Amino acid sequence: MADRPAPADPLKSLLDARLVLVTGKGGTGKTTFSAALAVLAAATGKRTLLVEVDSQRPAFTPIFGKEPEFAPSRLKDGLDFCNLRWMDALMAFLTSLVPSRRVVNLILGNRMVSRFLDFTPGSQEIVVLSALAEQVPKYDLVVADLPASGHAFSLLDVTRSALGLFRSGPVRNRAEELRALLLSDTTRAALTALPEEMVVNETIETGDKLRQYELIGHRPLVFLNRATLPTLVAEERELVRRLAEGPLDPLQAEFVRAGRWEDELEQGTALSAGRLTEALGYEPIMIPPAPAGGSPKQIVESVAAHLGRQVGVTRRELQWR
Amino acid sequence: MAVGRVDMDAWLAASRLVVCVGAGGVGKTTTAATLALCGALRGRKALVLTIDPARRLANSLGLKEFGNEETRIDLSPLAPEGEGELWAMMLDSRSTFDALIAKIASDPAARDRILGNHVYRHMADTFAGSQDYMATETLYDLVTSGKYDLLVLDTPPVKNALDFLESPGRLINFLDERVLRWFLHPSDSSPVLSRRLMFGTSAVVYRLLAYVFGKDFLDDLTTFFQDFQGLYGGFVERHQAVVDLFRDPATSFVTICAPNESSLDVAVFFQEELARRELPRGGMVVNQVHRCEGEEHDATAVLGALAEARGEDLPPSTVASVLARLGMAHRRLHALRVAEQALTKRVREAARGGGFFQEIPRIEGNVHDLAALATVGEALFTPAERL
Repeated sequence: MADRPAPADPLKSLLDARLVLVTGKGGTGKTTFSAALAVLAAATGKRTLLVEVDSQRPAFTPIFGKEPEFAPSRLKDGLDFCNLRWMDALMAFLTSLVPSRRVVNLILGNRMVSRFLDFTPGSQEIVVLSALAEQVPKYDLVVADLPASGHAFSLLDVTRSALGLFRSGPVRNRAEELRALLLSDTTRAALTALPEEMVVNETIETGDKLRQYELIGHRPLVFLNRATLPTLVAEERELVRRLAEGPLDPLQAEFVRAGRWEDELEQGTALSAGRLTEALGYEPIMIPPAPAGGSPKQIVESVAAHLGRQVGVTRRELQWR
Repeated sequence: MAVGRVDMDAWLAASRLVVCVGAGGVGKTTTAATLALCGALRGRKALVLTIDPARRLANSLGLKEFGNEETRIDLSPLAPEGEGELWAMMLDSRSTFDALIAKIASDPAARDRILGNHVYRHMADTFAGSQDYMATETLYDLVTSGKYDLLVLDTPPVKNALDFLESPGRLINFLDERVLRWFLHPSDSSPVLSRRLMFGTSAVVYRLLAYVFGKDFLDDLTTFFQDFQGLYGGFVERHQAVVDLFRDPATSFVTICAPNESSLDVAVFFQEELARRELPRGGMVVNQVHRCEGEEHDATAVLGALAEARGEDLPPSTVASVLARLGMAHRRLHALRVAEQALTKRVREAARGGGFFQEIPRIEGNVHDLAALATVGEALFTPAERL
C-alpha cells in the first residue's frame, strides 16, 4: 500500500474522499486547515461534516462563532460541524448495543463501569472513533481535525492493538470495522507542517509511522503552511549580508533584521519542501501565510481562498455567516 | 498592572522541580532544556525529563537521540570550569512500567506473571495515560534518588490540560481494593452485598461488560487483578508522594506559549487550572516574540547611504530592490509586533498573580545546540515582569 503513487491532483483527491483525517505537530495549523478544507468542500457542492475529536475546548468555536455539539449542527448550506465528546460517544455506542435506555443509564451510572472504561486500554478511543465512523455514510465528505500527531497516532493505532486485546464481542467487531474504514480507498490522511526543521522532522516521522504500522491505506498528503517562496536573488542576499555586518544604529539594525527574517522564512520553505519531497516521495502542497493579526475566522478564510483558487472556487463562494 | 520585576535567578535558585506546560509547537521542550542548562551553568546538578516521544529534546540539545537512561550532556564547550552538570532523559513508558513492576512485586514469580499478562502488555503500550503516569513515577524515583538538585519536566502537548496530574489517580482509582474485590470475589464481601452483587445491578453490569468487551477480556482482566492486588499498597504510597511533590513550595509550574491566539488561549486555560488546583504557579514564558519598535518604514531614508556604499560593486538595480524589500519587511514585521502585543496584553491580564511574565525574542536560525540554548537562556534570565 505504501507503493501507491501520489495522486496527480492532491487537493482534488482529498475533496473526492469520503473521510479525511487531519493531523500534524501541535501549532502547525491542523484546525485551520480542517476548517478551510471543509468550507471549500461545501462550496464545491459536497455535503460536508467538519468534526472535532473529543475536545474539551472546541477550537472551532472562535472560527465559526458558535460551539460544536455532539450532534452535527448547520454552519451553512451543505456544511455541518460537531464535536465528538467521549461521554456522548459512549452513550451513543451503548445505545447501539443495548436496546433499553434504562439499562444504558444503569451502566453509565455505575461507578465500577466508569472506572473500568477509564482504565481499559483503548476503550475510549474505540468509542470516539466509532462515533466518527457513524457519520461517514451520512455525508459526502467528513473532515476530522484529530489531536496532534503523537496522540492522533495512538488514537488510530487502537484499531490495531484492540484486535489483540479483545478476542471476541462487539468491541472487537467495531475495531475490525474501524480498521477497514481507515484502510479504505476513500479515506485519506493530511498532515499539516510548517517550514521549520523540527516540524519537518516530526512530519516525516509521523508519515513513516503511519506507513510502517499500515494504519491508513493511502500515503498522507503534507500541507506546508506559512510557505513563502524565495524572492531575493544572490546579489540582493549578498548586500543584506554585508549590511548585517554593521555597524548599524538600532533602527537600521531593525530593518536588516526584518529583511533577514523574511529571507530566512523563504529559505526555510525551500529547504523544508526539499526535505519533505525527498522523504515522502512527492511534493508538499504549499499554503502561503495569512495576513498578520487576523482573527481565526479570517485566517481560515485566507487558507480556504488559497485552496479554492486551485480548484476554481472564488472567495465569494466560500463565505459563511 | 505590573509592580516590580521578578529576579529570574532567584526564582530558579528557589526551585527544585520545574514543570513546563503549554500547547504544542510553542517551544516548550526548548524552554525546558534551557532551564535545565541555565541551572547547570549556575553550578547545579540539573536533569531535564521529556515525555515527548518526538525527539525534540535530543534535537534541541544537538543530539540525534537518547533513550530511557539518564544521559549526561557535555558542557565543556560552554563552561569548561563549571561545577554544574546537565543530564537529559526521554521517557519510554513501557520499560519504565516494567521496571516499576519489578520493583514493587513481592517475588520474581509474581513479577513474571504480571509482565507476561495479556492485559498488562496492552495496558503498558496503549493505556492513554500510561506515559503521563510513568512520567510522574520516574519523577518520584529521580526526586527520591537525591541525585539531582534541579529537575525540569517537559510535558506532552495535551489539549486536556493537566491530565497527567490525574493519571496516577486514575490508575489508583481503578486498582482500589473495592474494585479489585468486585472483579475478583463478587460473592464474599458481605452477605447482604453479595446477594446484591449476584442478583442486582452489579450482576447486570458485569454481564453487560462481558457482552460488550467479550468474556475473554474480562477473564484476562480478572487474572491480571489477581496478580496485581499485592501491588496496590505500593502504588498508593507512591501516588501520594507525587501529589505532595507537585504541591511542594519548591515546585514551580511554568506555562509556555507563543504569541498566537490559540496557544495563548491554552496558556490562559492552564493558568486558571493551576490556580484552581492550587498548584504553585511560577510564571509564563512567551517564546518567539518578534521585536520591532521603529514606526518608520522608509528604508531609503534609514539605510540608503549605507546600502550605496556597501553595494557599489553589485549590479545597480540591487541597492534599490534591497531597500524596497527591507522597507516592506520592516512594515510587515512591525505589523506583526503590534498584533502580538495586543494578544499578550490580554493574556497578562488573565494571568494576573501567576508569577513572572517573560518574553523571549525569536532568535535567528534553528535552536539545536547548546550555544543557541544559552542565548535563549540569557533572554530568559533577564529581570521579568510580575503578573
